[in-house]
Amino acid sequence: MNILIIEPDTVLAKLYTKALQRAGDEVVCCVNAQSAVFSADERQPDAVVLELQLVKHSGIEFLYEFRSYPEWQAIPVIVLSNVPPVEFIDNWKLLQRQLGVVDYLYKPHTTLAKLLKTVDNVRTTAVQLSP
Amino acid sequence: MVRTDQSVSALSVQLLLAVAEQIKLPLLQIARTAELSQVRDTTADLDSIQTTADMAIKLLDSYLFGARLALESDYRLNIEPVSVAAVLYDTGQQLTAMAKLYGVELQLDIAGRFAPVLANRQGLQSAMTSLGYALIEALPSLNAQTLTLHLAVHNSRYGVVAGVYSDAEQLSVEALRQGRKLQGHIRQPLASISPSSGAGIFVADAILQAMSTELRPTRHHNLHGLGAVLRPTPQLQLV
Repeated sequence: MNILIIEPDTVLAKLYTKALQRAGDEVVCCVNAQSAVFSADERQPDAVVLELQLVKHSGIEFLYEFRSYPEWQAIPVIVLSNVPPVEFIDNWKLLQRQLGVVDYLYKPHTTLAKLLKTVDNVRTTAVQLSP
Repeated sequence: MVRTDQSVSALSVQLLLAVAEQIKLPLLQIARTAELSQVRDTTADLDSIQTTADMAIKLLDSYLFGARLALESDYRLNIEPVSVAAVLYDTGQQLTAMAKLYGVELQLDIAGRFAPVLANRQGLQSAMTSLGYALIEALPSLNAQTLTLHLAVHNSRYGVVAGVYSDAEQLSVEALRQGRKLQGHIRQPLASISPSSGAGIFVADAILQAMSTELRPTRHHNLHGLGAVLRPTPQLQLV
């Protein structure tokens, strides 16, 4: 599976990349939203792992941009973020239905094993966006 | 600058919130590196764990220093004649391992004649280290042409300017002013350059304010960055 990781911290990005590669996935890592869009354009990912706190354009802005292209609308997105999920309780439906977020992981509490398991779970997931 | 008890308390709480948020990052890096090492059954990542832990301790020291200054409204650092070039050299030494971990090259631009400035040596070094850490962490996300961070000093008509620079776009005066107001209230007060709470920048600012100066966007040749204008000591210039 081709995975696009959008993670602004390059040290963490390398660790996630190594873990996913070890599990047999091909990984492209981007540090900001702009380079992630270019990367997805060059090579369509099968899944996206996204931090919401990015420099300049946020992860939410990336999601709106990403979902505006028909060919990327079914790609599952896993949020792996420093923003606690409790801050998104009110907006979970928006993230899930309109922006196609299939899982939300709180980064400080997410081990590599948990990340791998979550990525494994979305292998067969195709997102169906609601208007 | 006159600070009331209430404003000092609010400032220190905001700073501590930013610091607490920031300090999670090195701990998270250590935890995940250790986990990966266990899975791979290797000790090859121990160097990286040690570097991250050492840097986190130094950073926490700088943060505590800044937070203590923010807490104590009447506290003013002892001011003495300080060589900015020597402080930046030591700062470079402190940041080398961290920069290597992030793939960032550090460059010292400290050649030239610069008068000693009125500052507190430990305070200035803590401020530059906090600032350097924040910009090393942020630089890979900033679309810089080169991953090089310059620790530099230059003379200006206002005094001696010590700062940290890169070829990436940096904060504007207005963005920094807004960031100070939003610090502790939102997760990313300096979203145009930092993916985190930007604690290193605010700690540097708090320390510099205790030395009666402040952090400001500055330029060094064609590079952009953040720095402080420091007053030269007139007496020692005559020696």
